[in-house]
Amino acid sequence: MLRTALASCLAVVLAWAAAAWLTHDFRVFTAEGARRIEVREHPVKAPAVQVAGPGVDDVALPLLLEEHGGATIVDFVYTRCVSVCAALGSGFQQLQGRIAAGEAAGAAAGNAARNAPREAPREAPREAPDYAPVRLLSVSFDPAHDDIAALARYAGELHADPDIWRFVTVRDAGALDSLLRAFRVVVIPDGFAGYEHNAALLVVDADARLVRAFDYDQLEEALHFARSLPRSAKTARATRQ
Amino acid sequence: MATHMLVQFPLLLLAGALLHASRSTSGDARFASADEPAWNRLGIAGLVFAACVLALGMIPRLLDLALVDARVEAAKIAALLAAGAALHASWRRAGLVVQGFFLGNVLPMTAVVGMLYQDAPARLCNGYRLDEQVLAGTLLVALAVALALGWLVAAGIRMHRAENIGVHGPGVALPSTCASAPRLAAFTAGGPHHEERSWPEDASTTTSRKP
Repeated sequence: MLRTALASCLAVVLAWAAAAWLTHDFRVFTAEGARRIEVREHPVKAPAVQVAGPGVDDVALPLLLEEHGGATIVDFVYTRCVSVCAALGSGFQQLQGRIAAGEAAGAAAGNAARNAPREAPREAPREAPDYAPVRLLSVSFDPAHDDIAALARYAGELHADPDIWRFVTVRDAGALDSLLRAFRVVVIPDGFAGYEHNAALLVVDADARLVRAFDYDQLEEALHFARSLPRSAKTARATRQ
Repeated sequence: MATHMLVQFPLLLLAGALLHASRSTSGDARFASADEPAWNRLGIAGLVFAACVLALGMIPRLLDLALVDARVEAAKIAALLAAGAALHASWRRAGLVVQGFFLGNVLPMTAVVGMLYQDAPARLCNGYRLDEQVLAGTLLVALAVALALGWLVAAGIRMHRAENIGVHGPGVALPSTCASAPRLAAFTAGGPHHEERSWPEDASTTTSRKP
C-alpha cells in the first residue's frame, strides 16, 4: 500500500506541475489569458511585414508604428464584421475622441505656459499636458475583401481622423500569417462566411513592441497605459530642440 | 470542440485501454488474482493518474495549445493513452468503493466544467466558436450524468449478484475493504434491482458461476 500511495502522490505531483505550467501558476485558464501574461512579460517586436492602406503607402509595420514617437493601440478587424469588430470600432471612435481632446487640452496648456511663463500656475492642469502622442491602427486580416478602397470606405463610416486613426492591411498571405502569429491573433471561420477572432486592444510602444493586451471594453485602461509609456528617444530629443 | 473533448478524448482512452488489454492477454483472471502489483493496490494509483489526466484535459488552454503546438498535442495523446491503459489496469481491481470515489471526483468535475462552458459569456478557447463551446458543455454534463447512472445500475447489479451468491464469488471481485457495499446496495436498491430482473443473461451468468 505504501508503494501505491507513493505512485499516487507522484501522479498528483506530476499533474500539479503540468497544470501550473499550463495555467501560468494558476493565474489563467484560457489561451487568451496566457497570451496577455506572456505579452506583458515578454514584449513582442512587430514583424517587418509590408502594410498598406488609405494614406499609407507600402511601408514596413515597425516603421509605421515608430513614426510618431508614441504608443499605438492596434486592433485586428475585418470590415464585413458585424459583431466584435463593431464593438472595437465604436471603442476606437471613443478613443479617437479622447486622444483628440487630450491633445487639444495639452496644446492649450502648453500655449498658456508659453504666454505667461513667469506666473506660477494657480492649479495643476486636470490632465497632464505632456501626453506621449497615442495613435490608433486597425489592421485588417481579410485582404481578399479589404482592399484600400474598402478600408477607406470603412474609415469613412467610422469617421476616422487620418491623423489619429489609420487602417492598413497585409496583402501578402505569408506575411499576414507571420504577423498574426507574432501578435497571437487567432482567426477562425465563424460558419457564416465571416470570422471569429480574439479581439483585444493591443498596446504597441514607441519602439514597435507589443507590450500589453487589454480586453476590448477596457478602453480607459488601455489609453491610460498607452499614455504612460515613454516616448521614443529620438522623438523626445527632436521635441526638446 | 465537442469532437475534440467528447470524441477524440474517449477514443484515445479506449485505444490506451485496448493497448493494455492486448499486452496482458491473460485478461480477467489476472486482474482477479491476488498478485496485483504493489504500486497499484486496488487500482488506486491508476485511477488517481487517470483522474489527473482528465482534469488537465478540461483546462481550456490545453485544448487551444493542442491545436497549435505539436509538442502539446503529442503529450496530450500520450497522456490520454496512458490514462486509458491505467483505467483498464485498475478498474476491476478497484472495487465499488474505490470506483465510486474515482467517479465521485471525476464526474462532478466534468459536470461543473460543462456548466462553466455553457455559461461563460465569452469564448474560452480561441480555436473554437461560442456555440461549439456551449455544445461541448451540454454534452459534458450529459456524459457525466449518463456515466453516473450507468455506474450506479452496474454497481447495483453487481452487488445484487454478490448477495445472491452469498460470498464474493470469482469475477465479482469485491475487495474486502468494501465494507459499506451492503449499505450502498440497500441505498441503490430501488432502480437497479427492478431493472436487473428483466435481464435474463444476468441470471444465467449468476447460476453458471455458482459453485
